[in-house]
Amino acid sequence: MSLIPDNALTRPLLNLLHQREGRLTRELLQEPGGFGLGQLPESQVPEATTDMVCGFCSTGCGLKIHLKDGEAIGLSPTTSYPVNLGMACPKGWESLRVLDAPDRATTPLYRAEKNGRLEPVGWDAALRLFTGRFKQIQEKHGPHSVAFISTGQMPTEEMAILGAVAKFGMGLRHGDGNTRQCMATAVVAYKEAFGFDAPPYTYADFEESDALVFVGGNPCIAHPIMWERVMRNRRSPEIIVVDPRGTETTMYATQHLALRPKSDQTLFYGVARILIEHGWIDESFVVRSTAGFEEFARFVDDYGLARTASETGLEPAQIERFARTIHERARVSFWWTMGVNQSHQGVRTAESIINLALMTGNIGKPGTGANSITGQCNAMGSRLFSNTTNLLGGHDFKNAEHREKIAGIMGMDAAVIPTENSWSYHEIMEGILKEKIKGLWIVCTNTAHSWINQNLAREMLSRLDFLVVQDMYHSTETARMADLVLPAAGWGEKEGTFINSERRIGRVKKVRRAPGEALADFKIFQLVAKYWGCGEQFRRWSSPEAVFDILKECSRGTPCDFTGIPDYRWIEEQGGVQWPCQEGMTAPAQERRLFEDGRFHHADGRAKFLFEASRPMTELPNEAYPFLLLTGRGSASQWHTQTRTAKSPVLRKLYPEQPFVEINPADARALKIAPNAWVTVESRRGRMRAMALVTPAVRQGQVFIAMHYEGTNQLTDAVFDPYSKQPSYKACAVSVKPRAE
Amino acid sequence: MSDTLPITKPLSLQDLLEGLGPASVPPSSGERMVHRLLQEQGKLSAVELFAKEHDLKSRNTCDVPDQARYYAKLLPATPVGPGQQYGFEVDLDRCSGCKACVTACHSLNGLDDTETWRDVGLLIGGTETLPVMQHVTAACHHCLEPACMTACPVNAYEKDTFTGIVQHLDDQCFGCQYCTLACPYNVPKYRAAKGIVRKCDMCSSRLKKGEAPACVQACPHEAIAIRIVDVSRVIENAEADHFLPAAPEPYITLPTTTYKTTRVFPRNMLPADYYSISPQHPHWPLIVMLVLTQLSVGAFAAGSLLEWALDPALAAAFRPIHATGALVLGLLALGASTLHLGRPLYAFRGILGFRHSWLSREIAAFGLFAGMAVPFAALCWGLPLLGASESAWVKLAVDSLPTLSLSVAGVGLVGVFCSVMIYVFTQRELWSLERTSIRFGLTTAILGVATIWLLLWLAVGFLGDEAWNRLAQNLTRPLAQGVIVATTLKLLYDISLLRHLATFRNSSLKRSALLVVGPLKGFSIGRLVLGVIGGIVIPAAYAAIPAHDPIQFTTTSAVFVGLMWAACLGGELLERYLFFSAVSNPRMPGGVRP
Repeated sequence: MSLIPDNALTRPLLNLLHQREGRLTRELLQEPGGFGLGQLPESQVPEATTDMVCGFCSTGCGLKIHLKDGEAIGLSPTTSYPVNLGMACPKGWESLRVLDAPDRATTPLYRAEKNGRLEPVGWDAALRLFTGRFKQIQEKHGPHSVAFISTGQMPTEEMAILGAVAKFGMGLRHGDGNTRQCMATAVVAYKEAFGFDAPPYTYADFEESDALVFVGGNPCIAHPIMWERVMRNRRSPEIIVVDPRGTETTMYATQHLALRPKSDQTLFYGVARILIEHGWIDESFVVRSTAGFEEFARFVDDYGLARTASETGLEPAQIERFARTIHERARVSFWWTMGVNQSHQGVRTAESIINLALMTGNIGKPGTGANSITGQCNAMGSRLFSNTTNLLGGHDFKNAEHREKIAGIMGMDAAVIPTENSWSYHEIMEGILKEKIKGLWIVCTNTAHSWINQNLAREMLSRLDFLVVQDMYHSTETARMADLVLPAAGWGEKEGTFINSERRIGRVKKVRRAPGEALADFKIFQLVAKYWGCGEQFRRWSSPEAVFDILKECSRGTPCDFTGIPDYRWIEEQGGVQWPCQEGMTAPAQERRLFEDGRFHHADGRAKFLFEASRPMTELPNEAYPFLLLTGRGSASQWHTQTRTAKSPVLRKLYPEQPFVEINPADARALKIAPNAWVTVESRRGRMRAMALVTPAVRQGQVFIAMHYEGTNQLTDAVFDPYSKQPSYKACAVSVKPRAE
Repeated sequence: MSDTLPITKPLSLQDLLEGLGPASVPPSSGERMVHRLLQEQGKLSAVELFAKEHDLKSRNTCDVPDQARYYAKLLPATPVGPGQQYGFEVDLDRCSGCKACVTACHSLNGLDDTETWRDVGLLIGGTETLPVMQHVTAACHHCLEPACMTACPVNAYEKDTFTGIVQHLDDQCFGCQYCTLACPYNVPKYRAAKGIVRKCDMCSSRLKKGEAPACVQACPHEAIAIRIVDVSRVIENAEADHFLPAAPEPYITLPTTTYKTTRVFPRNMLPADYYSISPQHPHWPLIVMLVLTQLSVGAFAAGSLLEWALDPALAAAFRPIHATGALVLGLLALGASTLHLGRPLYAFRGILGFRHSWLSREIAAFGLFAGMAVPFAALCWGLPLLGASESAWVKLAVDSLPTLSLSVAGVGLVGVFCSVMIYVFTQRELWSLERTSIRFGLTTAILGVATIWLLLWLAVGFLGDEAWNRLAQNLTRPLAQGVIVATTLKLLYDISLLRHLATFRNSSLKRSALLVVGPLKGFSIGRLVLGVIGGIVIPAAYAAIPAHDPIQFTTTSAVFVGLMWAACLGGELLERYLFFSAVSNPRMPGGVRP
């Protein structure tokens, strides 16, 4: 090029031969974004920013939304938010993208004939159909023949108004949430042990522990930002992972206890016995703050090392080392996830973990706790305010005093509040088979994909007289079965608050316009109340913030009291606020844990030891179905039934599009299954096609399939914890056979 | 199941609404509320209500980005010195596979919907008691000897002399995609919608301002850093190959990324996609271009060689026909090649990289080939018209035509050699010098001879005088034999790939063989059938005619010659399809996929 002199005449020629700038180059040019963001592509430089919390999982990361003309054009994790410290997982990064999908529901859809198509109708017609059909069913089959399924994915204010309108306005008795599928076990365990559903920890505990025990979870993938906090732990902690399977998290384990599936409860009883035997007990804490230790000590006497080792399949030395670690490390924290919650004996297993924390005094201090990591972004809001299992604010439907209190706050007659508890999710589903439930209103969840034993679940839904599905997308497996689809605005298109795993209340805002005629769920519930004829009853529930004030009052005097929060704005100024935050707390610390005073929420102020003999799994492998199927999270880029995550082209690139089954090399060899071959996985209830991923990460006799694939729940067996009624998704017998393709 | 309404005819919405009786609210008041709420829904949270009012004002007031508090330690503390450059450093012990780096890079760089400049793969191995899974994040390795840059025919890559960052000039790129084949790490990605390739530039504009690249900013575990690497160290390391288990060997391009770990990886560690076999992009325009240029060059070469076998008069008569036939198909090939370009208007830039790019050289060689073949064909037609002229110049020209023909063929063969080298440069086993030369060479031979045969028969058919007839009588058998020999050799050679099916290791040639008998089975069978029919069965029928029997020039026999040619061409096109789609490309460890 140097042959040609560079001057005004030759420049166009030179540029044609070697073009360093132009339209394509400009597309990626960056300029300072301002707002502390650093460089951004020119087209994405915002005019303003605002903070809100993410709408996928319960970590509750702060996201800084980049705005242009008041509308979100991008986002980045909030650097100063105490939860995520400037980081986000792929779902968080892509959370705006999933709002722009061609299959967003933009108008109500109605199916006039059972096998006909869903056709657009106006809101007025849709709401008249909604009220008309449900009232008709109620007239014929009784007021309780219509039920609702709520969610852990909506703001607290929305789930509260849903629960209130349904139960106090429409006279429904039965309503439950998809939180039944993930958190019910932890709720019951905490209530029984602590006297209130109160996860005691704050995320700083990840950083302040000397030993972290993870049970039945893969936080590296399921909660990557919580794992960020573990990685920031500077105390060289022991990391003990109790999981039958090798996972990303076990890669960081200093002790990986790859026990037999569902033998965790036995393990913890066995460990408790070792601790007692050696006197590795915090006597003063046990005496001062707990009840039932003596009985517990007698009970675990049966769980000797030999028995524990043989039932868990672990080496005695591994179990002893685990116990010794709990004793030797000053601050031990226990973290459990779905491997515990989704179990035929989940509640007692969770309590067996709580027992270990209680007996060693590992609670109420930095870096300790018996800590349930929640699943959904607002599972914690749902636990307190969905008005399903509990009366608003963790109250009891059966308690007249509670009913009076709540009715007083709402300005309603206490007679509108049901005096009986609701059926749980599976009882509602079974109620359809028993012809007790004829109408169902499913809000923001995907039953036809996620409910256990999917083929039967779909059969149940198909038997309904009227199924209403309220969702962002008209394409979910459940919406496709609906008689009426109500189009909902999603995260980012509406206002409210979420409560994260560490009890932190955070804000969500309307930074995008919902497509077409989609409405915020809050507004849909207001309209339902209006058309049902009980609009007047909910006059005070005029906006999310108005409802927030009502809920605040409901919380007064309870362990989750947050009456100290004056308004939404204050929540943001504080960087999110953990409950409790009683009136008068003007500057709550950013990271607070519970039970620092050793007082629990039972009347006697003591935590309870709870225990029960371990029971074997219900469906053990046999000759016809020789493998035990484990299920769980597949990747950090997938969320539940993928109604949202599958809408982002980038997220789709980050996980295997086709279902795969992890199988041990020895099993694969015996079955003549080559790596990457297609196989059929079959249980007594259904079958699915999957690709064999041959890996020593699963033990012989076990296989693993991620829960996100539609086929997975065709295999699972509808078994429930007797106390929490939570489905046991993680253990059923299957066969694996090579496919000819 | 009880029903709520007796249904005798399909219900209209109105029927239903009426059947339900009056709603509990007068519709008008309900409709008003619907209208009001829809209007409210359209309004966004008022910005002035947001808590952090300063956000509105702080547009340009913050010099230091918020995230700097975390990433400052992940950037080099000192400037780059001589003999040094920037490189990514990945702490594998801290990469837990969340893939936030991929999405952050995508978002903060404003990439297209499906575009990612960083990928995360997975290595799996170990034993049941100690299973190992290691996620591996990778972007461009900003190599010391970037294959993308060497391969690029338009000089659209530059390696910054100071930072060593390999940067792609988007407006200079004309979308030939050669770099996507040349890079062993599969880094440059073609964007069909834009007609160009784009790739990671280590967020050079951020680094210039002291900011961290998007991936470095966004990794929750601080697993990615920018460090200064010594060029000499990179070279030493490449010699010893401690780059990353199962990654392409570093000596090819000298990648500067450092993967560090304290873990001891088990010997059986393999990428999660190690056993995945998926056909590669076939590049149809390239298939057509390669096969037709080889046909054209082959026809020229075969035609030139025939000159010596024929008496001069016949040779002169045949010359314009074979030259034109070869030329037309050759030009078709060059036309097809521009279809492969994302931005064909800039095709003229193609020879800028002549000094380093085999693609530029190929373009130049075939350009010259076409440039010579056109006037040559014109001469072949024109000179005989001047036949009566006794001008010495004309005579000299006529006499030199055989030599000229050879030169055209020679230049064409140089072009075919450049074609070979384009693929050899990518260091893929299926595209080795031996394999590619044999494949391209035999295609040249088969199609060259077959085309000459076809042209000869066309001449007989259309011109049909005694001389042509005699020529065809003499040449048909040897031409048929030539096609049979070349085709047999080629088919045997193609089939010999299948011996790698017996290889114990899942080697790259075994993967190619698995593709050929697996997902690409249809193409393989088609290739074989067409090859056998066109290259063996039909020619054998002609070769088998006893030397003393006359060959019948009927319409049927002409149709068979046409079929022979079409089948040979079809067979070679399918062979080239397999050449592209059955190749096993070197790549970084990938994720789980079929």
